[in-house]
Amino acid sequence: MAPAFTLPSTTGAPVALADLLAAGPAVVVFVTDDCPTCELALRRLAAADAAVTVVCEAPPAAASRLSARTGFRGRMLSEPAPYDTSRAYGLEAVPTTVAIAPDGEMTETVVGWDAAALSAIVGLDLGSEPPARKPGCAAKSTYDPAQLAADADTGGDDPEAMFELGWTDGLPTVAPTPERVAAMLAGRDPSVSLGPVPPGMGEATLERVAACAVLAGCRPEHFAVVEAAARAMLVPGFNLHGQAVTTQPAGQIAVVNGPARAAAGLNAGMGALGPGTRANATIGRALRLVVALTGEGMPGRLDRSTLGQAGKVGTCIAEDEERSPWPPLHVERGLAAGTSAVTLVAGDAPLSISEHRSRTPQELAAALGWGAATLWSPNWWPIGAATLFVICPEHADTLAAGGWSKADVRRAIWEAVQRPAGELRHGEFTNRVGAAADEELVPKWDSPDDILLVVAGGEAGRFSAVFGPCVGMDWSPVTQEVRCDT
Amino acid sequence: MRYVSPYDPAARTPVAAAPRPESVTGRTVALLDISKNRGAEFLNRIEHRLRERGAEVERYAKPLFSRPALGELIERIAARADLAVEGLAD
Repeated sequence: MAPAFTLPSTTGAPVALADLLAAGPAVVVFVTDDCPTCELALRRLAAADAAVTVVCEAPPAAASRLSARTGFRGRMLSEPAPYDTSRAYGLEAVPTTVAIAPDGEMTETVVGWDAAALSAIVGLDLGSEPPARKPGCAAKSTYDPAQLAADADTGGDDPEAMFELGWTDGLPTVAPTPERVAAMLAGRDPSVSLGPVPPGMGEATLERVAACAVLAGCRPEHFAVVEAAARAMLVPGFNLHGQAVTTQPAGQIAVVNGPARAAAGLNAGMGALGPGTRANATIGRALRLVVALTGEGMPGRLDRSTLGQAGKVGTCIAEDEERSPWPPLHVERGLAAGTSAVTLVAGDAPLSISEHRSRTPQELAAALGWGAATLWSPNWWPIGAATLFVICPEHADTLAAGGWSKADVRRAIWEAVQRPAGELRHGEFTNRVGAAADEELVPKWDSPDDILLVVAGGEAGRFSAVFGPCVGMDWSPVTQEVRCDT
Repeated sequence: MRYVSPYDPAARTPVAAAPRPESVTGRTVALLDISKNRGAEFLNRIEHRLRERGAEVERYAKPLFSRPALGELIERIAARADLAVEGLAD
């Protein structure tokens, strides 16, 4: 006799075997959600619109996804661990298909995929494309109980689930289980709101920001920086809204200063711009996921960036304050030495500037400036937005050898990069160039204040970098203190 | 498997578009200039064509293309107009 069962259905009310048999003979197909042969069987049954009931050895959400993947629109039941029903039916493998008469007698059992046998059971042609027969997988009721307990903890922690939900930037993300999110929050109040995130205006509760941090692959020690960066991003002066919906490629770039760098494990040395350091990669990514998910600024939908760029997966660096000959960025911007801060800048992918020959600060500053001269567009002078340079240690040494301060370097870059308006008046040029006399010199930057400098990178190699800014979006860099204590 | 969603369900509620009228004759059309380059010229042409078809036209502007229109501007347009056209791109 077929053992009785009552199991939850993916569409709501629980279903008992007795309910099925009240309507006549029943065909029950036992499957798991991670067995290719079960998927094959379900696709064929769905295509033939076979009237079967499926019992899936997986939680309801996973069973629903199985229905969606295979096109199965019939009754899908979910059997929870430890799979007592499967055990009662003596299952060894899935798929197992059981035909049950109205009086409860099991009239036929088919193990695995067998086109002919299953066609006979359901009374429909399930198709003749190969394979004619295929074995499946072990039923979960045959698993070792310790294995089942371990599986229950992760509970189907499948990267595919995140892709199916759309909670990704195209790369695999880590499922934000309640346990992981709680660990990320580390006692912070999950209901605290940072405000609405443009462009979709989803509210950034700390819980949602923590979910984004988990998705990004952050560890709890990264979260203080993520939270500070998210707060900075939502300051009105940063105008995240304009950045999030523009056709420009710019993303949000985070520069971290102070003791928070070591606490988070951020890299300011070799390879600071990536890849390779978990803190740099995941903190930058968490911030972008807040925009793309909570803020609905997903590329191709509300994010209308024509090409986008790889930096929009996330860009976060630390300044190498110990190696730098100058005060750090956050102190320049008014915070006290010894505090920790994140400064956000809106910019494109980094442009590398090689300079392996210059030996004087003047020569080098001019080279760095001219390397950046075509940012945005060759003739768009002045660029009209804050531009972040990352100066490598060898370059910093050369610039500082003449006793130059950061302000001296900024001034030298600004002074060096100037051209007569007449030479710029082609293609895309500014109103200032349009109105100026031919011989009037126009600078690439309105003032030295538009040039931001941080020091980072490996000891060897004379490569600095500059981030083309987001242009015309009425944004200013924002510096936010990082709260290191929970 | 329960997950903590990064999404705000309140923000995801879709807003249905108003039904499209069959003609613009006798309708009030709001033209919103978002201050992109030469947007006003484009909207001048649109205004001319709309008036030819018997529409009433009202002109609006927001000062910066890079920031959203203020709520009161949107509300004013919604209260006074049947249709709206934005001069959106360059």
